[in-house]
Amino acid sequence: MNVAAVRPIQPPEASPAAAPAPEVLLDVRNVSLSFGGVKAISNVSFDIHRGEIRAIIGPNGAGKTSMLNVVNGYYKPQEGEITFRGKTRRRMRPHEAAAQGIARTFQNVALFKGMTTLDNIMSGRSLKMRRGFFWQLLHYGPARAEEIEHRRKVEEIIDFLEIEHIRKTPAGRLPYGLQKRVELGRALAMEPDLLLLDEPMAGMNVEEKEDMCRFVLDVREHFGTTIALIEHDMGVVMDLSDRVVVLDHGVRIADGKPEEVRRNQDVIDAYLGVAH
Amino acid sequence: MDILHQVLIDPFVQMGSQPDFLIQVLWEGFVGGVLYALIALGFVLIFKASGVFNFAQGIMVVFAALSLVGLHEAGVPGWLALILTIAVMGVLALAVEGLIMRHLVNQPDIILLMATIGLTFFLIGFGEFIFGGEPKVMITGELGLPTGSTAFEPPGLGRDGGPGLVILQHIDIAAAVIAILMVATLALFFNRTRIGRALRAVADDHQAALSVGISLNQIWVIVWFAAGIVALATGIMWGARSDVSFALEIIAFKALPVLILGGFTSVAGAIVGGLIIGIGEKLGEIYWGPLVGGGIESWLAYVIALIFLLFRPQGLFGEKIIERV
Repeated sequence: MNVAAVRPIQPPEASPAAAPAPEVLLDVRNVSLSFGGVKAISNVSFDIHRGEIRAIIGPNGAGKTSMLNVVNGYYKPQEGEITFRGKTRRRMRPHEAAAQGIARTFQNVALFKGMTTLDNIMSGRSLKMRRGFFWQLLHYGPARAEEIEHRRKVEEIIDFLEIEHIRKTPAGRLPYGLQKRVELGRALAMEPDLLLLDEPMAGMNVEEKEDMCRFVLDVREHFGTTIALIEHDMGVVMDLSDRVVVLDHGVRIADGKPEEVRRNQDVIDAYLGVAH
Repeated sequence: MDILHQVLIDPFVQMGSQPDFLIQVLWEGFVGGVLYALIALGFVLIFKASGVFNFAQGIMVVFAALSLVGLHEAGVPGWLALILTIAVMGVLALAVEGLIMRHLVNQPDIILLMATIGLTFFLIGFGEFIFGGEPKVMITGELGLPTGSTAFEPPGLGRDGGPGLVILQHIDIAAAVIAILMVATLALFFNRTRIGRALRAVADDHQAALSVGISLNQIWVIVWFAAGIVALATGIMWGARSDVSFALEIIAFKALPVLILGGFTSVAGAIVGGLIIGIGEKLGEIYWGPLVGGGIESWLAYVIALIFLLFRPQGLFGEKIIERV
């Protein structure tokens, strides 16, 4: 609410370079998460502005994926709160998060392996299909028109990601790089406000990585999607992201622009290790 | 040579000499097959939505039939008992989802299978506790199901070209019609609706399904309820053909060869598989059974399934198993 009160002072159309008060899309406050006695995240806070690419980095086991899982409701934090689009919540179920406009991809690709690329991406539209059950059963009338409309949208995404040639291929048969791309397509089909990417370039060769980087940037430009991404490849992170938050052992050790984070001594220590 | 003659030629000569009897056998096989298909559908529904073989499907058939008859015995009129039984299956679906499935999200399939075995034993005990263990008679008349039979005398199809005789039990006709309607509705449901697509998504990957906004809980309640309705229909039809007792559970396992034949994930497969098994075992029993002293109906289905399994492990219509290594 206070966000809305601040904004009218500077209309968003004014030059973006003049740094208008950025709208906070997601605000994570003092979140702590533990599994039994193991503390995965302790008291972490950060925010994501609308339209930015926000990277979450850190060494293995830093709690990055756990953080993503908290944001879209797979994990329920013991403490802290999360505000998305001005609505604060303690706990949320994953399908509710999806309904509110949070889409994600997974570290180890979670596609529907038996379905074709097309059906996989189409499944991203499932929340948007509203026509009556019986019309769908008959495949006639308004449901048919709706299906065609969704198909058009899905074809747009397929064009955008340059995966026309694998439209009818079962996802399980695709090479890994393409699977990641299809998974991105499924997330895009949800037309999300916030897109969470869990290591979108992991396991890719240089060429595939370059493609993926291009797609991530294009997604923001094309669809205006806000993106939070976890990535290990430092080059990728520095090139892509507007701001970076660094976690280590579940604690936030730095937050800021890529070049600031790169110079931060704590971050360097966390990555290289320090002599004790 | 003699045995080959008996196996390969005699039965067909017999079929040709009495076409009316052959029609009778085929009809009975067809009805049996349609009912097998119905049971198999109950399994397919839950398998598609959770990747789990629902061991409890058989006992759900018994439980539904027992509830229906039990309610009627308690003085509830037939139509109301039917509605109440549907409600009972709804409550069962909610309970299974809330008490079992919800806590087992993302667990390995074997854990879910064990849970359904547990559910089976619970339902056996619970059913006996409430309705008692003795066999009951299905309330066919009160439900408005037809009784009696119609005899046809197709000319020229009897022995030696004389007038034939084919007897159709009305309850069989009703069973076939109801089963076909249910099968058709479910097939459309899977292939055409948003929920159908969501079902397939859930079966494939729980996490991914959640991430695109599919509510597992909602889907599970829907499939368990649908499986409950299928169980009720099966219970009524099989109950009317024999009687309502815990022995009905065994019939449900006839669905296993049907599933192996048709593939666990295919509605069309359940139908075709049901018909192959139903007609195959009737023909086998009547024409080849006497060679070994009869009684082959109880195991022939499994042998047919086994032979198919050797050539198509995924079943006739099952989704190809794709595994990357």
